Amino acid sequence: MSGPQIILWVIALAVWALCIRRGMPQARRAVTETNRGFWRILPMFCVALPMAAFLSELVPADIATAWLGDDSGISGIMIASLAGGIMPGGPFVTFPLVITFSKAGAGVAQMTALLTAWSVYALHRILTWEYPVLGWRFVAMRLASSFFLPVLAGLIMQALLPFFAINLAAP
Amino acid sequence: MLNALRRHASLVVIFLIAIIAGLATLQLRGAEAFLAALWHAWDLFLFIVPSLVAGLLLASALRQLLSPDALARLMGAESGIFGLFIATLVGTLSPGGPMAAFPLVLVLAGAGADKGALVAFILAWSLNGFQKLLVYEAPLLGLDFALLRTLITFPMPMIAGWLARRIPIAWEPPK
Repeated sequence: MSGPQIILWVIALAVWALCIRRGMPQARRAVTETNRGFWRILPMFCVALPMAAFLSELVPADIATAWLGDDSGISGIMIASLAGGIMPGGPFVTFPLVITFSKAGAGVAQMTALLTAWSVYALHRILTWEYPVLGWRFVAMRLASSFFLPVLAGLIMQALLPFFAINLAAP
Repeated sequence: MLNALRRHASLVVIFLIAIIAGLATLQLRGAEAFLAALWHAWDLFLFIVPSLVAGLLLASALRQLLSPDALARLMGAESGIFGLFIATLVGTLSPGGPMAAFPLVLVLAGAGADKGALVAFILAWSLNGFQKLLVYEAPLLGLDFALLRTLITFPMPMIAGWLARRIPIAWEPPK
């Protein structure tokens, strides 16, 4: 286990200990929910991880450099924002794909924009959850107040990058 | 029917893409690359599972401890930047996928959170959710990137919530 994983376990067990103090039923319910969540996510993992691995075998090494590379600047950030916005699937799909794109030459600022857009626009989530649950007025209001965030995040990351050594393809 | 589709649509789509990509890998890159990719996926799986279980435990333990009603009272229309900050914090700490988050949005709305706070909550959950950060982003993309990106995007839900309160679109929570 890596450092962050150990920290995560310590925090999780500490909060669970608080549950035990609150009462055994709560603590037991937390474990039951953990178990249920794990089995719900497991099928996703079993198809998403091979998918990302196959895709990273298929994508030629420098295909993303011209469109999404470090030198693609704001146009690359905008392309990445669009791509992130229509990318379907949960984090088990997106993060392996970001590694794949990075291996193919995509820049860090561009991948920041892509991840932000995937979170902010999330077309598939709007169609399956946000619109049915909260209505189109809410969707319109939320998009109107957040549509510029992916490009903004990409630009801030680009401005900060010279001060940090970050390599997404081999973390 | 719609619910079953909702729950399994992405699974089916990803499964189909995986099959097609797997066949293409076999065809174009050979059996060795195919097996190497599967081995890599298995490696990644073993790497993620410990943090996944810890993340799920943390999430469900937090759910037992926090009451959405009490939090929503701090997120009303008059709550100002402080309310947006609380909404952002709660969103960041909210675990799970949309199946868990959107019902919680309704609970918060019913308990008094205004539209700006709800926008901030949804964005904080999807953008900076701790579970995604700890289970996927930090292990897969590196802690440096995960922290820097989160630092950049952490204030964004508050900005969006502040704007949402000023955008003239009337919205009432669904009854």
